[in-house]
Amino acid sequence: MNEVKKQHPLVDAEEPNLLEDTFPYSLPPLIRFKGPVVEYIDGEAVEFDFGAVKDRDILITDTTFRDGQQARPPYTIDQMVHIYDLLSRLGGPNGVIRQTEFFLYTKNDRETLDRCRALGHKYPECTGWIRAVKGDFRLVREAGLKETGILTSSSDYHIFHKLKFRSRAECMDRYCEIVEAAFEAGVRPRCHLEDVTRADIDGFVLPFVDRLMEMSSQVPEELSAKIRLCDTMGFGISYPGAELPRSIPKLIYKLTHECGVPSDRLEWHGHNDFHKVHTNAGTAWLYGCGFANTTLFGFGERTGNPPLEGAIFEYIALKGDLCGIDTMAITELANYMRSIGLPIPENYPFVGKAFNTTRAGIHADGLRRDEQIYNIFDTEKLLDRPPRVAITDKSGTDGLVHWINEFFGLKGDVRINKIKIHKLARWVLDQYDEHGRLTAISDQELEAKTKELMPDYWQKYKGG
Amino acid sequence: MATVEERVKAATARVLKLDLDQIKQEHSFTVDLGAESVQSVELVAMFEEEFGIEMEEDAALSVETVGKAVAFITEVCAEQGVEVEK
Repeated sequence: MNEVKKQHPLVDAEEPNLLEDTFPYSLPPLIRFKGPVVEYIDGEAVEFDFGAVKDRDILITDTTFRDGQQARPPYTIDQMVHIYDLLSRLGGPNGVIRQTEFFLYTKNDRETLDRCRALGHKYPECTGWIRAVKGDFRLVREAGLKETGILTSSSDYHIFHKLKFRSRAECMDRYCEIVEAAFEAGVRPRCHLEDVTRADIDGFVLPFVDRLMEMSSQVPEELSAKIRLCDTMGFGISYPGAELPRSIPKLIYKLTHECGVPSDRLEWHGHNDFHKVHTNAGTAWLYGCGFANTTLFGFGERTGNPPLEGAIFEYIALKGDLCGIDTMAITELANYMRSIGLPIPENYPFVGKAFNTTRAGIHADGLRRDEQIYNIFDTEKLLDRPPRVAITDKSGTDGLVHWINEFFGLKGDVRINKIKIHKLARWVLDQYDEHGRLTAISDQELEAKTKELMPDYWQKYKGG
Repeated sequence: MATVEERVKAATARVLKLDLDQIKQEHSFTVDLGAESVQSVELVAMFEEEFGIEMEEDAALSVETVGKAVAFITEVCAEQGVEVEK
């Protein structure tokens, strides 16, 4: 055992301290900071004030129709227009979901863009996505877009092995020609630094960004280049002390403080190959990146992108306020996605069928006594999803009585107690003990049995 | 009329499928008589039905022994105006 360095006397209490400053229940748990964070960069201790994010502009961008669509069969135009409409409602009037990007190559791509813009929403702003080919700016211009993403891959894997440039200098010159073409076309370029977490940061990324900043200084502000840091393979690391090129803190610091990229022109685009995608996006915000690029439900190339709905709750937790966000739209989006054949795992946070469903009787007992014990926040108020229990042999009478009260919509003093459901509890247990059942009992089965075994309650609360 | 103790023992025997002579005043429902979670609920439901009373859920489920159940039910019957043979 290690030596005891400090004694910690019990602070006795007869009233609970529920830490409601951090866990307000009406909002997701808040993310609060105390003191600076230190990162050593090139031997120097650099302090970051994460708490400042509460008052600093951070925003969400969306790529559901671009990266998200690369991971699934194409959406129809109607589907995309409906999703765009809901995205606008979700992000609210302050434009927390600030932009979404569209392909521009096919007739359907362009019709989709036109119909989304015809809805008249201010946010998300529509931007494009094209190859790093000069001729493609014609498409952007014809679509009347002010901004487009262009591929400017930054690792030597891409520069030499994919794009077959003979040198980094040749590559950089070619990229800069494209950026110049964007300026000439009156379109703001958003340079997607593909594979940046596997790139030579000092040898290529920083010199390229220096040059972009220099070029941008020659054009009006609204045309100045934006930088999207693309963690293409999910190699980014959030931990302080990690080395470049994988260190998100160092990467963002160097771009913002050495290259002078303003926060509102810097965006993080992650992938989930190592289960780090959401935290990496949040880390990018905290270290000075203005935008976190996301997709609905994390759908995207291979393992996907930062889930938009996760970023929404992170945003609220950091800001301590809904900021005009309509979180109910998340549930509507999930229901819509399911209706058009997009599978969402049952245990998927915030929207999975079972995300706030407990199966253990002991947890159900906690829910029965106070739903805050086992519910992450007021999921009914924010997502129209009250906490639930799934009924198996492990649910116990506590689980069953929670199900019954939710089914009849009973709260407070009118809730039915365990004694009144004993016949139903016996039927459930016999399913497993007597009949050898191995599956959970469906809501439909329970409804039928409730009607049969609790006819008085059925008559009272379901009207016959 | 049977006493509260006799009626409690009879109800317990029915729910737990025991012979009457296996049930003693000092027996714990769970430890000695083997009542599982759902059977504890069934026991309380059976007592309510037998005596025509309503018992507070947590208080009723916290009663551990047959003898304490007899005392608890007698008290509830008195509170709710139900006449019983003591």
